[in-house]
Amino acid sequence: MTDCIKTNTLLEAKNIQLSYADKVILRDINFCIKDIVRPGMQQGQVVSLIGRSGIGKTQLFKILSGLQKPGAGAVTIQNNKVVQPGDMGVIFQNYYLFEWRTVYQSLSLAAKQNQLLKGKEKEVIEKYAADFQLQDELQKYPQQLSGGQRQRVSIIQQLLKGSDFLLLDEPFSGLDVCVLDKVTELLLQVSVSDELKTLIIVSHDISTSVAISDTVLIMGNETGKPGATVKKEIDLIERDLAWKKDIKKEKTFIETVEEIKACL
Amino acid sequence: MKNIFKPFGVISKQTFAIMIVLQVAVTLVLWQTTSTGLIPKPANVAAAFGKLITTKLLLDNMVVSLVLTLKAMLYSIIITLFFAYASVIPFFKSIARFIVKCRYLTLTGLIFIFTLLTKDGSELKLSLLVFGIVPFFTTSFLAVIINIDKQEYELCKTLGYNNWQTLYEVIIVGKADQVFEILRQNFAISWLMITMVEGLSMSEGGIGSLLIKYNKYNDITNVVALQLVIFIIGLCFDFLLGTTRHWLFPHSKLKQIES
Repeated sequence: MTDCIKTNTLLEAKNIQLSYADKVILRDINFCIKDIVRPGMQQGQVVSLIGRSGIGKTQLFKILSGLQKPGAGAVTIQNNKVVQPGDMGVIFQNYYLFEWRTVYQSLSLAAKQNQLLKGKEKEVIEKYAADFQLQDELQKYPQQLSGGQRQRVSIIQQLLKGSDFLLLDEPFSGLDVCVLDKVTELLLQVSVSDELKTLIIVSHDISTSVAISDTVLIMGNETGKPGATVKKEIDLIERDLAWKKDIKKEKTFIETVEEIKACL
Repeated sequence: MKNIFKPFGVISKQTFAIMIVLQVAVTLVLWQTTSTGLIPKPANVAAAFGKLITTKLLLDNMVVSLVLTLKAMLYSIIITLFFAYASVIPFFKSIARFIVKCRYLTLTGLIFIFTLLTKDGSELKLSLLVFGIVPFFTTSFLAVIINIDKQEYELCKTLGYNNWQTLYEVIIVGKADQVFEILRQNFAISWLMITMVEGLSMSEGGIGSLLIKYNKYNDITNVVALQLVIFIIGLCFDFLLGTTRHWLFPHSKLKQIES
């Protein structure tokens, strides 16, 4: 097993419930994300939230991002603070951007929200644009970008805002194989950019999500109980499946994916 | 060729242009051959039009009408924007909705009240026009606000914006191009109303009073010629506002190309 320890709690979901009228959507959702410390390197956290379509992943995504209040329970981050809109970096499934702003203007608006970047916004934006191969797109409008470029702009926008948490809703949806590899590489790059950087990926693409995660949360229904909950938590570090290249070919990885599928 | 009559059929720009020319030609031929008696023939209208546009009478009256329309549109858009932006504040929501419903009030029924409230004919015309235009502008702009994608607000929240910042970014900046579109679409309404209100105070002139005068003397040829002038000016404004919108807000052009 890779040498690491889990220390402080970074995020905790406690007894999350959500109902619409009489219909229970989410029930008793409890999980905790801890800071993973690996000697000699900055290692962020990557957690995958996996579940079937329509199970309530997007509702949980909105609760985690603070955009929706749960019926009961709470999501807390550092120092037991209840999560508020703006605490999390959120990347929506369709990579929504302000259509009336150029890429540079959008990034600049996000950078202005980050006090740590005061006075050096331009410099940081140009650095991110270079890192994410978007130098030539800075003066373009979102309508002029490809899906992959929009996704990268969305990610930079949320990174510039300065949140340690990055929530991604179906980031692999509709991507071709080449772009998929680039996106996974990009997310890994983000995850090691800071010790506290925590990526929560909501996806139904089991294989891709698991390949870049250290923890998997499986959402599903339990017999006789209404609403979805986190049925199982898999620690991929314990199974020696985290932070490895070409992990998809390994037998234990394939078995884990099968195990997750069986759980859904 | 078959595509011309096919639902959602796609035709080239050239075909479209040819089609329009043919449709205009057919209309003119039908008009020429079927018009009898008092209805003027296109050739007569064209001659009257040629004569009319060279007269000082038209120019003077047109300037009066244009100044009045532009003034009314300026006041109307200021009032509309205030109430439309404020409509996201609960206190102003009811007022904005009431303004929308004012579309159903007829100007004719309010002339007496406005006459009592205003100093002179010029003020009366302006206030009636503003009162007539604002409900239509407000209706259009509120529709824009209501149809804003929820994700625009959510993106603001994820960026940590407060409600005032969200109002500024999503509605004031984000929908600024729509103000021009609303002006463009509703210019026709203002243009329609001006001919009516100018009839109330004819001493200052204007195309409305000119139309009434021609109608009074059954000068149908000049009425149609004047209508043609009004139509062309309307088209010019339509083009001007559309071009200004694209120039000031380049993304609006991209959106149009995309759709």
